[in-house]
Amino acid sequence: MQVMEGSVDKISLIAQRDYDRKLGLQKQKETKESQSADTEKLAYFNETFSNKRQQIENFLTQSSDLDKAALPQHFDTISKEILLLQKYVANSNIFLRSYDIKKCHESLQELTNKLKQLEENLLPKKKFGFKNKQNVKPVETKKEKDEVDFHKVAIVAKECGFANKTGETLTMKNEIFKKDITVEKLENCTVKLFGSPSTLHLNQLKNCRVFTGPVSTSIFAENCTNCTLVIACQQLRLHSSSDVDIYLHVTSRAIMEDCHDIFLAPYNWDYDNLESDFKNSGLDRNTNNWKCVDDFNWLNVERQSPNWSLLDEGKLVKNWDNS
Amino acid sequence: MGFLTVLKKMKQKEKEMRILMLGLDNAGKTTILKRFNGEPIDTISPTLGFNIKTLEHRGFTLNLWDVGGQKSLRSYWRNYFECTDGLIWVVDSADKRRLEDCKAELHTLLQEERLAGATLLVFANKQDLPGACTPEELREILGLDQIKTHHWQIARCSAVTGENLLKGMDWLIDDIAARIFTLD
Repeated sequence: MQVMEGSVDKISLIAQRDYDRKLGLQKQKETKESQSADTEKLAYFNETFSNKRQQIENFLTQSSDLDKAALPQHFDTISKEILLLQKYVANSNIFLRSYDIKKCHESLQELTNKLKQLEENLLPKKKFGFKNKQNVKPVETKKEKDEVDFHKVAIVAKECGFANKTGETLTMKNEIFKKDITVEKLENCTVKLFGSPSTLHLNQLKNCRVFTGPVSTSIFAENCTNCTLVIACQQLRLHSSSDVDIYLHVTSRAIMEDCHDIFLAPYNWDYDNLESDFKNSGLDRNTNNWKCVDDFNWLNVERQSPNWSLLDEGKLVKNWDNS
Repeated sequence: MGFLTVLKKMKQKEKEMRILMLGLDNAGKTTILKRFNGEPIDTISPTLGFNIKTLEHRGFTLNLWDVGGQKSLRSYWRNYFECTDGLIWVVDSADKRRLEDCKAELHTLLQEERLAGATLLVFANKQDLPGACTPEELREILGLDQIKTHHWQIARCSAVTGENLLKGMDWLIDDIAARIFTLD
């Protein structure tokens, strides 16, 4: 009896020890895992990634055997899986080498392409705009996120400026202060803007002359041909224009894109309240970078762009009073 | 415990986001960036290339990329798509002539694989101008309701006055944070 009892004790003792040992091992394993080296994380990642990838591949091969009615749902699941995998890669970016990331993106791309291909073959699209849209739904659509900021504001959407005129002299005075002015589709016109608007848009002007007081932000000019612009602003953006003489005051920079035969001279318009308009516009009368033009079609710093040059002294108009 | 926990801890410690700011030229992208960073805005030149700013905001590190919007630069936009968490699309609300152009560029952009999953914030900029479209008008004109692939939001703002900039940005950050900093 005593022997038996003793052996029971021993057995439970052994069991207890075994349990403790296993617990210790477990603990060791966990600490090791938490301090695991890069290679282990990589290995884990690679394994997860390739498993997932294989799974998606399987899904893809299945799709040709499926019933047509079940296909949209099926494709939806696949694209969701791909998105999830993409997210997983993005989350793991932190320890992946750029080579691994590139590899993963490549295989993701491949999967997406395969999906697209299959979808096009098995489910021909209805003729409707915005293709490729419905198959990339976000993983979880949170309805409240699609709500729009509905601040109601009382802005009177009134166009200020001139349009569709031929052979006229058009003038605006102080009413343009802090307004955005649009001048477009004019031919053989002279436009005089006395005062300081906030911005100015010029579009489709032919054989026109435009005079402005200081524009406090930017002037955006497009499709102007054979014009003379006498303008002051913070920025000038000139696009798709040719044969334009610009008498310019610009406090930061002027740029041009798809332009040619542009000639520059310093701003020299004068009228009674010019100085106070300059003050109101916030433009610095003493900073004028009229010679600094960036041509976006000419990214060569050593040679000057052939699309613009300074206006010849002989052609310079010095006084606009009688014009 | 183990792999996921370690990863999560690392991510949370950094709390870094990459935000890409795009839009047509003259939309005010650089002005928004400078205003957000508290720099003077009266000397800004049209962007030839790009600007990057790293800001600390609400405990997050924001890498803000502002890429020039000129026609000749738009083909380079795709070089900046990789790893983008949030996309800010800046619209000149007063430039009504080019809204169609703006819509086309935006929807082309959203088809891009590498931007899949990025949160989209549309800034209806230049609301200080009297001729500006309201966000509601823009939402319709730009066809925003058709966007089903991204979380999106449109916010009125003025980079010149600073109006509503922070609010819009906060929404963007919250949306991104909800997505990338919760792994479980």
